[in-house]
Amino acid sequence: MNTAMFRLESVSLAYRPGRFLFRNVSLEVACGEVVLLQGPSGCGKSSFLKLLNRIQEPSEGRIFFEGQPIAHIPVTQLRRRVSYLHQSPILLKASVGENLRLPFSLRASGRKKAPGEAELREQLGRYLLSDVSLEDPAENCSVGQKQRLCLIRALLLNPEVLLLDEPTSALDEESASIVEREIVRANRKTGISVLWVTHHPVKLPAAISVRRLKIASQTISEV
Amino acid sequence: MGAVDIGPLQLALCVVFVLCSGICSLALKLKLERDLMIGSVRTFAQLYLMGYVLRFVFDLSQAWPVLIIFCGMIFFAAWTIRGRIKERTVPFFRSTLVSMLITYVVVTITVTGVIVQAKPWYLPQYFIPLGGMVVGNSMNAIAVALERLFSELRNRRAEVEMMLCLGADYREATQSIMANAVRAGMIPSINAMMGVGIVFLPGMMTGQILAGSDPVLAIKYQIVVMLMLTASTALGSVVVVWLARRNCFTHAQQLKLGE
Repeated sequence: MNTAMFRLESVSLAYRPGRFLFRNVSLEVACGEVVLLQGPSGCGKSSFLKLLNRIQEPSEGRIFFEGQPIAHIPVTQLRRRVSYLHQSPILLKASVGENLRLPFSLRASGRKKAPGEAELREQLGRYLLSDVSLEDPAENCSVGQKQRLCLIRALLLNPEVLLLDEPTSALDEESASIVEREIVRANRKTGISVLWVTHHPVKLPAAISVRRLKIASQTISEV
Repeated sequence: MGAVDIGPLQLALCVVFVLCSGICSLALKLKLERDLMIGSVRTFAQLYLMGYVLRFVFDLSQAWPVLIIFCGMIFFAAWTIRGRIKERTVPFFRSTLVSMLITYVVVTITVTGVIVQAKPWYLPQYFIPLGGMVVGNSMNAIAVALERLFSELRNRRAEVEMMLCLGADYREATQSIMANAVRAGMIPSINAMMGVGIVFLPGMMTGQILAGSDPVLAIKYQIVVMLMLTASTALGSVVVVWLARRNCFTHAQQLKLGE
């Protein structure tokens, strides 16, 4: 039986008691599925994603990850399996290499070894960042380069789900197309599920089967 | 040789200083006249009250009234901190009070009982003034540290959330914020150690000299006091910020503070 990656049962989210962003949402996201979630600004798209890695809690309803209530999964482990990419790239004031290795320096990483320099350089090359050195201060990179670094960092953990909060909205065309290309590649190669919040058109290859959802009038529906 | 007594008329003359400040406030439209007046009245009332209470406690010569007064001072300090911090999303009063109580009682007993070797350790002439300095100085440090903790958590919310998203627990996600908060609280104490004896003569030393004490004895006490204050400031700030930071997160490692 193919278990859904995520299952939401009657999930509601209120930003204040009685003031709902969305109500009574029930849906499933399958393994390897690519879901585009659209809707106007402030309708709760980002908050919806944050429910899935428990940065926020739903006001009502239950969320299951691979058949297990997400509240039963150790939260630091859940967040490494369900990776989140912010709209604006966020890097620490440290070198590029330190930023890429950051997830492996955390307690939740256990004995998992950080990728070596050769692997990191190879990743930089794939994202057209060959001119960026691992020793460079990350703050010197452009926004587009930073977002590519954030995507590399997120995917280095080999997550099962990628939550994307408008990751290309602030990027130049070149960076945006590299980010989109690598997300599609990760989905095809590893079968990672992708939940992609956007209100810009996303260029995805026709071969990719995309499910489109829309948040409007406090509900989430198929487009 | 004791200190020269200050009569009621001379005491009343001090009000001239406040009147000058009030005139400045009026002239520059600072709107501080009311606060200056209330502050002056409270200074007279609170200090006179404390003077009579201390006289009573000195006569009793027992540990419990000394400890009750000390706990009351700590409670008032924790209450003052609560009033100064604007943050209302995260409860911090109880944890602040408990950590101040434990830290300051331990530090003050160590100073009076072990370093000064007052006999008994609760001798009110030593315990209350020394303990009072601990509470007063650390109160400011803790307020500064808490204010910095909450403001950095709000301003660097995105960075904290990014760390949490990578699987960091709240301690890892706020390591540098906690360090900055404690550092901000401790800097005044460290600056005071740098300037003492050159830039200013601290109140306690001045008081002892005015009371006729040998200046060398006064500086020995002052050294003990400076180091005691630095230690209590550090301990108090670390423990309070540590506990307050925990309260800023839920059990699911979610930041409670709003945008």
